[in-house]
Amino acid sequence: MNNSNTLTSEQITSDLLPQKFGSRGMIWTGILVLICAIGAYAYYRQLRYGLVVTNMRDYVSWGIYISNFVFFVAISLVGSLITAILRLADVHWATPLTRIAEIIAVSAIVFASLIIIVDMGRPERFYNLLLHGRLQSPIIWDVVVISTYFLISLLLLYFPLLPDLKIMINFKEKTGNALHKLYRFQGSFWKGTAEQFKISEKSINILCIIIIPVAFCIHTVTSWLFATTYRPGWDSTNFGAYFISGAFLVGSGAVVVAMYVFRRYYHLEKYITELHFEKMGKVVVLLALLYLYFNVNEYLVPAFKMKKPEEAHLDELFTGEYAPLFWFAIMIGMIIPIFILIFKKGRKPLPMFIAGIMVVVGAWFKRYLIVTPTLLHPFLPMHDVPTSYHHYFPSWEEWAIAMGSLAGALLVITFFARIYPIIPIHETIIENEKPAHQE
Amino acid sequence: MKPLLKMKNQHIRNSILLAICLFISGLSLRAQDTAKAEAGEPSVALRYFIKNNSEHYLIVRSNIKVGKKTQRLPNQVIKVFLDSAGPENLLLKTTTDDQGEAKVYVPVERAEKWNASAKHNFIGVLEASSLEDERSAELEITRAKIEMDTITEDGVRSIIVKVSYLEGADWKPAADVEMRLGVSRSGGILSAGTEESYTTDSTGSVTVEFKRDSLPGDDKGNFVLMAKVEDNDTYGNLLVETVVPWGVPVVYNTTFFDQRTLWTTRFKTPFWLLFMAYTIVIIVWGTVIYLITQIVKIGKLSKSEPN
Repeated sequence: MNNSNTLTSEQITSDLLPQKFGSRGMIWTGILVLICAIGAYAYYRQLRYGLVVTNMRDYVSWGIYISNFVFFVAISLVGSLITAILRLADVHWATPLTRIAEIIAVSAIVFASLIIIVDMGRPERFYNLLLHGRLQSPIIWDVVVISTYFLISLLLLYFPLLPDLKIMINFKEKTGNALHKLYRFQGSFWKGTAEQFKISEKSINILCIIIIPVAFCIHTVTSWLFATTYRPGWDSTNFGAYFISGAFLVGSGAVVVAMYVFRRYYHLEKYITELHFEKMGKVVVLLALLYLYFNVNEYLVPAFKMKKPEEAHLDELFTGEYAPLFWFAIMIGMIIPIFILIFKKGRKPLPMFIAGIMVVVGAWFKRYLIVTPTLLHPFLPMHDVPTSYHHYFPSWEEWAIAMGSLAGALLVITFFARIYPIIPIHETIIENEKPAHQE
Repeated sequence: MKPLLKMKNQHIRNSILLAICLFISGLSLRAQDTAKAEAGEPSVALRYFIKNNSEHYLIVRSNIKVGKKTQRLPNQVIKVFLDSAGPENLLLKTTTDDQGEAKVYVPVERAEKWNASAKHNFIGVLEASSLEDERSAELEITRAKIEMDTITEDGVRSIIVKVSYLEGADWKPAADVEMRLGVSRSGGILSAGTEESYTTDSTGSVTVEFKRDSLPGDDKGNFVLMAKVEDNDTYGNLLVETVVPWGVPVVYNTTFFDQRTLWTTRFKTPFWLLFMAYTIVIIVWGTVIYLITQIVKIGKLSKSEPN
């Protein structure tokens, strides 16, 4: 916080209590609901007419949906980074960002699960995956680890929320009757006793420890969905680390964007300060450099050898059909943000926000590039297939569903910020009461 | 002088006019030819088959020649006659399939006519369409048979194939008939000896020493020997098959999928994977369940302790 000890508990509480949507909030929510509705209609069409409404065919059977899935899984990892890793490292400046990171993680993991079901032609047969799934398959590992990560993230969101629920219960006139009932249902048992705090602290510490290996598992397993398939571009032993470094980067980018938006919209300048942007900027630039390093490994080493089956795939990325998108993703997703954030002036809120947007957009296209071009370059040549099989561009239904899922994730975050304090009230008060030298 | 000049001018005019007319008509003819060539030239082709001396049939094919390339013409109506075109000799009126082919058997009611002669003439007529006239093709065949026998002398296995043709009421040896002889393998014929093909001698026979030792057969060591005469101008296509126990019995390794490996069914998961997966799941979910009990515990504390 900017001005330690200058804020009273009452003021902090008043500032951080959830606020009603203003006109901009209503417009924002309305747009998201509209995009979701279009996505829902497109999904209705997919259920009605089958996967033929997509442009996925025999070769590109994983298209924009799986790209989106990988993107969501990646972004969800930020919960473990900001909340768990920084907490265990005793880094206190990240306290106001923990809830933002956690809600991004929870909403992303929910939509990762949903989009994978959308990718199934017959979603009503999903239960067969549980009934007849093979433990040898990375797909089953993914199902197990995603559900586990979701539950752990939910718990990590819930435990620190308990003291804040008690505070909000006391502000019935401000929060309204319906929300008051919800808060009471969720946290009326929290009295704030020493014993309760002790249990809660211990539980949070356990969660912080356990979420790190689970988070690493979730994205490593997702990377293995590709790496265990023998194909140009995926046949790599480096994929787990490559995916995790990219995940931390996009998650941090998303947190930076959310920090800027919440700070500006809810006037939280006293709580999300320039110092937070400065620190997060350093985190993002470090992660961007790390991810760039893995990218160099992933592309330079195969390009140096230029094995025949890899050649067509790499040519397509470097100079072919996908070259504009590839270089866009590399520049926007890594290199330009590095150049912005490496300078102190670049780590101010607005440049950080722009760099964050770049990181997130670049990361989305990067996932698309990991999935699609490889599928268009199988080891066996494509013979006697319709011309359309040689190319892939998502149909409007695929775009609508993918954008609908992104809007859905943003909607969850928006509603969460409307119902709960996006910055932990109780922890902020405690941090504020600490003497300056302890901070 | 003037009328002469006038006549000369008229002659030149007429010559130019004639040249233009010839040029235009030439162009027109050329255009017609091009259009016809682009539309293609339909045709019908007939092939006669005898399989194991019991099944004999015709394959009729509707084709279209576009440029230098002959393609199949699907869904065409073709009439097939025996010996001469007429309703009393009609074998079948059929429509070719998507591949432009149809199979035609000699029906029972034409058996008497079929048996009455050793030589027959098949006539295939591709029905006229709005674009093209009727097209026809003929195929003359002499009735023939092909027989296969095997002998083993001093451990040496041989195959004897005999081709005969019908002359009057007698079967005569068919000399100089080229055939492929060997083991049926992957849709083709693996030659039984060292030659790609063999030709019958004056007795209508071919004898080939079987030199394919240790050839995999079925689980009892059986495989199919096959002799095939293809597109013979006189006899058509003849095929005879026989099963011999000359191969090595192949017992498929059914234990491959009985092992506990990464590629087997879920009931054959490797123990190390089961151990690792369940250990991780138990530790993580045990912790999650423990944490949920902590929430319950916090709830209970609220009842026991004062605020």
